[in-house]
Amino acid sequence: MKVEVLRKCVGDGLRFIRFQQGVREAEVFASWNENITIRINYTSEIPCSGVHEPKSVVSYGVGVLAVFDTPQGIKVGFGSDTGDLTIEGVKRALERAKKSSVYDPDFKTLPSPSYGSPVLSSYHDGTVMEIGDEEVVYLGWRALKGALAVFRKKGFMRNLIVGGDVTILKEKVAVANTNGIDEFDESSSMFASITAVIEDMNAKGTGWASATYLNRFRPEEAGNMAAKNAISSAGGRRIGSGVYNVILGRQAVSMLFSEMIVDALSLDHIDSGNSPFVGKLGQKVASDIVCVYDDGARPFEVGSKRITCEGIPTGRTDLISGGRLVGFLSNNYYAKKYENNVVKFIPRNGFRFGDEGRDFKRIPSIHATNLVIEGTREVSSQKLISGIGNGVYIGRLWYLYPVYGLAKAHFTGTVIGDSYIVRDGQITEPLKPNTVRINDNFMSLLKRIVAISRKKSPTLTWGSREVIVAPEIAVKCIRLENVAEFIEEL
Amino acid sequence: MSFEITIGLIDRVKEQVFNMVLDCYSGLSDCIYLDLRLGVSESKFSMAQKGVSKESREEVFGSIGIRVIAGRDITASGYFGSYIGPSDVRNLDMFVKEGISCAWRRAVANSSFKSRFKKVLGELGSSLSPTRLKEIEVCRDTFSLPFKEDPTAVPLQRVVKEAVDASSVVEEIYGSCGHNTVYVYTGLFRELFVSSEGAFIDQSYPLTEGFVSVVVEDEFQYDHLGGKGGWEVLYGDNAFNKTFREFAVDLARDTLELSKAPVLPSTDKEVVVVTDPHFNALLVHEIVGHPVEADRALKMETAYAGRSWFFRGFNRNQIGKKVASELVTVYSDASLHGYGSYRYDAEGVRAKRVVHIDRGVFRGFLNSRETALILDEEPNGSMRATQAHLVPLIRMSNTVFAPGERNPEDILREVDDGYYVVGHHTPSIGESRENFSISARRIYRIKDGNLREFYRSGAVTSDSRDFLMKVDAVGNDFKLFPMPNCGKGVPMQALRVGNGGPTMRSRAKLVGMK
Repeated sequence: MKVEVLRKCVGDGLRFIRFQQGVREAEVFASWNENITIRINYTSEIPCSGVHEPKSVVSYGVGVLAVFDTPQGIKVGFGSDTGDLTIEGVKRALERAKKSSVYDPDFKTLPSPSYGSPVLSSYHDGTVMEIGDEEVVYLGWRALKGALAVFRKKGFMRNLIVGGDVTILKEKVAVANTNGIDEFDESSSMFASITAVIEDMNAKGTGWASATYLNRFRPEEAGNMAAKNAISSAGGRRIGSGVYNVILGRQAVSMLFSEMIVDALSLDHIDSGNSPFVGKLGQKVASDIVCVYDDGARPFEVGSKRITCEGIPTGRTDLISGGRLVGFLSNNYYAKKYENNVVKFIPRNGFRFGDEGRDFKRIPSIHATNLVIEGTREVSSQKLISGIGNGVYIGRLWYLYPVYGLAKAHFTGTVIGDSYIVRDGQITEPLKPNTVRINDNFMSLLKRIVAISRKKSPTLTWGSREVIVAPEIAVKCIRLENVAEFIEEL
Repeated sequence: MSFEITIGLIDRVKEQVFNMVLDCYSGLSDCIYLDLRLGVSESKFSMAQKGVSKESREEVFGSIGIRVIAGRDITASGYFGSYIGPSDVRNLDMFVKEGISCAWRRAVANSSFKSRFKKVLGELGSSLSPTRLKEIEVCRDTFSLPFKEDPTAVPLQRVVKEAVDASSVVEEIYGSCGHNTVYVYTGLFRELFVSSEGAFIDQSYPLTEGFVSVVVEDEFQYDHLGGKGGWEVLYGDNAFNKTFREFAVDLARDTLELSKAPVLPSTDKEVVVVTDPHFNALLVHEIVGHPVEADRALKMETAYAGRSWFFRGFNRNQIGKKVASELVTVYSDASLHGYGSYRYDAEGVRAKRVVHIDRGVFRGFLNSRETALILDEEPNGSMRATQAHLVPLIRMSNTVFAPGERNPEDILREVDDGYYVVGHHTPSIGESRENFSISARRIYRIKDGNLREFYRSGAVTSDSRDFLMKVDAVGNDFKLFPMPNCGKGVPMQALRVGNGGPTMRSRAKLVGMK
């Protein structure tokens, strides 16, 4: 599917809609997506497939958001049509939009092209767009081979598990509206996320790799990293319940932000009152050294897009600067709702992300792209570890949720791997996976950040679209509970 | 023939699709199995906030999912999935054949690499095995879950009105100090399953549900009312025996009351906890339902959803061993009238009642044809996908704690000093489901058999086996609840399942919000 087909669809569609009586404004969005996932399942002691599921989902169609003048007032409606990019598909989508239109006093207007020009161009990989089935399947075997090669070299041959996936996401969109937006985008991204386990040694490690170009994508490195991290974590021991200084590794930082803080910093959650950041714009919400921003236009990042799904160029949105709350993520709807003489939110985060890609069946909601966490002062990883004295390095967190609601900011989760005990500023031994539960409050945690590492890497969590460009961070006084001792008897 | 995507599409094309699958199968080299699912849904949805309609939609979706198992030396799987539109229906032959070819190419490539790696990896390659499926009785059937009020006949404006009305009455409860979001949904789903073995199953079901979330100051509560039924679900034919409006109002009143309640103080030690059926629905889901999924047990989900504390290996597992008090029995049953109701799974296997824990002793798993072969069990029909284009996974059906014989009021009255846990909120569970922390909607102090003050923002936390072993009372007040968003898989599939149980009593620690 060429992007020109999508552009023609939205262009023809908008021309048709302009002549329809009663339509005040309209936006036509067309997309084509292919999500290819190669699931890996290897177990040395249980019959397995290695590459378990090479699969894909293709979706394409058109969505129309229209504003209608009616005798009862202005109404807004959305309709979509699957699998038809002709004018007939647009007509059906418009008909559905009309039928489903509602009076929403918070809707102001569709976006206009007043947010500058897109930064990224021709940033997708044409090779990936044409990748064949055999090559796709081989990517999965490369990831598995990467892990098994390390295990074999180090002499680990029994009780091994290697799981995870290699994903290729191809997305093509075109969007045009009656306010003058006429844009398109084409992106390709590849991720590999691998978990390796040596079960009888309670050792678990994670590895990941990402790229926007096939010739830079190294799934075997994700496998290597996972196996090496698993080996490093072998022979872990438990710690007692207590309060610890903690270094959160990159995966752990990603979980914290992906599962909770990103939502809390989104204007839709502010609107509903379900965020601890309500009423705190301009106030200190984190330690002085903490800076957080979202930037959808970072070159070569897998979360980058040329435009949002509303046709607005992506770019940087500052959220926390030197510990102070300075902004929120927004789409056009909420940006317009909250626009006033004092504050203006730039809608750089209106996306239609679904599991298959940029979904023509959805209206734009708020999503982060590349969320960057950095420090006003940054240190080396070594300095970070030596700085906490005695404590715990937490590499990977699991099932982290705001269990009393996001507004209260309290969360709990378990530590499942890639974690170590720190004594006298040195990593001394691994922490046994799945033996620690963390209970804390992320508003308080942000204020207890004492150091941030210089080195960052893009990380993804299961089920999330955004990339967290995550450093390691040192936090004082986190409560950790020793749990599940019975598992050793089983 | 009309090329429009409607529920009726399956009537128009099912014979054609079945014949195509058989034709293609006979022409594919080294192919041992092929199946195809064609699904269509027609639905209506509306969302309102603070008494104002925000969005409504009338949608029709069609999609297709294909699995092929093929290979010369060693068989492997390949899959293909796609949404379908009118132009695809117009060229259905070509569309289906291309999909089958794609899945077959992937299976053959996968097989070739599996064979190569098996040799190259030496000892590490010994576990790489042919992909095979346990034999089943091949079925031909048409089955529909009944409804009273046809979802496809409900006008969209009625759906909108229901959402707006519920949101408006909720808004009146808390005045200006809150926010609410209400979703209402009704639809009809139909899926055709055909296979190279001759399976031909046409299955459909209705689904109607309403969701409410309320924020009052910093108190956030949400709940879900739904069922595999028609519009009647919103008018009392549901687990709560309430209309949707009543349900929404009750949640709003509860949230307002909770917003003024004190936070639960944490306990240093274990205390007696009596948990109500709504809390136990999430408990059984998390600490039994998930770890009895055979793919977890066989480590296939290690990278995502985790493993299972019931199964470490063939020689190290809980089958036949005591894992709970003898008052505890847990089973899955797709014939119960709940979110997990169905007759055939996505492999064409008729769903069976599966006992997981029988009077405290662990018995078995939910499985698929592939995992049944590995575990040497009979397939029990537990593979499902949210939509036809997605690869099915092993899922709960209606997975429940069985009722006991005790009167729940007596269970409470017997407690000198303890807590009564009412309603579930949000879970956080250990990787093998061996430890849990599940927050509750409200928690009462029990003193001398009476309910005293109540608290908010508290959670029950325990090791899973400990909690189950310490169950010393099980009530006769069984209830089955809709659980709308059980997440699993890559891409993520949020499936509706049924979970439930009666009132129970055990021991656990309580954690209050910091």
